[in-house]
Amino acid sequence: MKNIRIRKLVISSGKGGVGKSMLSSTLAMLFAKEQKIIAVDCDVDAPNLALWLGGDVRLRLGGQRDKIFPVVTSAKPKIDLNKCDGCGLCVKNCRFYALKMIKSRPVLNPFVCEGCGVCELVCPKGAIKLKPVQNGEIRVKQTRYGFPLISGQLFPGETGSGKIVEEIKSRASFVAQNMIKAGEILMIIDSSPGTGCPVIAALKDADFCLLITEPSPSGFTDLKRVLEVVGHFKIPYGIVINKWDINPDLSNKMESWAEHRFMGKISYDEKIFKAISNLVPILETKLKAGKEIKDVYNKLRIILGFKKQDKKERTKKDKCFL
Amino acid sequence: MKTIGITGGKGGTGKSTVAVLLANRFLAENKKVVLCDCDVECPNDYLLLGQRLKSPQKRVFAEFPKLNKAKCKKCGLCVKSCRSNAVFQAPGQYPVFIKDLCSGCGACWTICPHGAIERKKEEIGQIYLNEIRNKSEIQNSKFKTFYLITGMAKAGLEETGPVVAQTKKFALDFAKKIKADYILVDTAAGTHCPVIHALLNVDFAYCITEPTPMGARDLGLILDLCKKLKVPTKVILNQSDLGDKDKIYSVAEKFGVDVEKEIPYSKEIVKAYTKGRLLNFIQE
Repeated sequence: MKNIRIRKLVISSGKGGVGKSMLSSTLAMLFAKEQKIIAVDCDVDAPNLALWLGGDVRLRLGGQRDKIFPVVTSAKPKIDLNKCDGCGLCVKNCRFYALKMIKSRPVLNPFVCEGCGVCELVCPKGAIKLKPVQNGEIRVKQTRYGFPLISGQLFPGETGSGKIVEEIKSRASFVAQNMIKAGEILMIIDSSPGTGCPVIAALKDADFCLLITEPSPSGFTDLKRVLEVVGHFKIPYGIVINKWDINPDLSNKMESWAEHRFMGKISYDEKIFKAISNLVPILETKLKAGKEIKDVYNKLRIILGFKKQDKKERTKKDKCFL
Repeated sequence: MKTIGITGGKGGTGKSTVAVLLANRFLAENKKVVLCDCDVECPNDYLLLGQRLKSPQKRVFAEFPKLNKAKCKKCGLCVKSCRSNAVFQAPGQYPVFIKDLCSGCGACWTICPHGAIERKKEEIGQIYLNEIRNKSEIQNSKFKTFYLITGMAKAGLEETGPVVAQTKKFALDFAKKIKADYILVDTAAGTHCPVIHALLNVDFAYCITEPTPMGARDLGLILDLCKKLKVPTKVILNQSDLGDKDKIYSVAEKFGVDVEKEIPYSKEIVKAYTKGRLLNFIQE
């Protein structure tokens, strides 16, 4: 039996554009130097981690092929108008306002349909059947930093982002099983902004959650919002303040508010924007931010209980588990 | 009355900032404006305007299943009917409803032949209304105020789409009542259900982006969505002087969409933004 322990580190924020993917990609590069990791992009609406880790998702780099897996986690009703008698029960029972009566026949708005299947259940004539729909895809690729990246894409206009996130995570676990025979593996998961279903799905079984925010009223409020979700699942967390110097007063206030959860702050520099638009990893620049993220990384290692182990100790420990 | 969506795909590109500035500009043009914040997971417009949300104007409810054990025959049909995998049943036991996964679709109580699943009404969000007074003098302006409608979903709610739909409906009704000229709908980041709900039936949408490869990629995704929803769009490029603009232009060209405006990076805006005092800016 394989003896693998998967640890999950989730990076989330509530507010968008505060530096989730920047932090995840940089942390992934740092962790990869010491141990086996997998980078996972759970922002299925707008997956950008692949860009941060070198190259467009649509490109095939260095001769290594991306593996693409279609995802079918959505279903849409198909209405047989010959059987339909226009009773309107399906319209009445749809909670998502996806069906409308037009000329006494139901018409589907596929963009808001959740594929729950209530219309199929209530139809007395059996005129509605749910048909599965491919609503996204999952990509597995090897990054140039030597660890795999698993990312997913929800096709624009489709629904079911939470379910795609779950598919991504189970695919990532599968990849992990094939990467090592025994020992620990770290999954670095980049979540999407907000607090809705894709975020909940990404957070659910995390071992530790790193929340990144910025010192603005919106950043602070959104942080508290996402903390309600993190608190609900009782996940231990830490807080990083990005661009702290755009408002040092509020940053200090947030720092003391966070108490022992505060894990570091990253300074803003217009050059970061330049580095980002040229896709230069932060660690390869001489910017202050690089060092500041390293500090966060060192604290994370201690919190997650990763130490440098020598080989003898490791084999001993493995035997204990068996 | 015109409905304008403000969206962007990528987060943090300045959707709310642009929404607030636009509202202010329409006000200066003698228009009656309703700003509707449909980013119900993380609404921020009120913060940018230095407002507080007091008592909600309306509460949004949804129904969730509750088991009546006296009637339940443990047949397991509800488990099979649930496509969100939110109903779990160990052999010979009563089914358990896992709230974190439930979307409230109602498949379980629809299928239950014994009427054992009751509906429990629960609050899933609130809608707030604020009147925003522009203190700085606007010359020749008929109106001194515009209205902000904020939708706020309960934290930890799975399906936030219905809250968006209700917020938008409330804003539309309100705008009709006061005979507004414009409704601005500020959406969440991304392309999933809350964004789709917010963009449905808008007359026109602005897509805000930034000149980075990530901005360009996400712009492509949101333009694709708008095309599918048959919403005409225009691009606004924020922080335009900081990065590589060509990529944004080539994406916009691919979709046959104009880049209407470039907003250069401004330290003053960032400062005002971090302090919740964005309203003092009247920008062209």
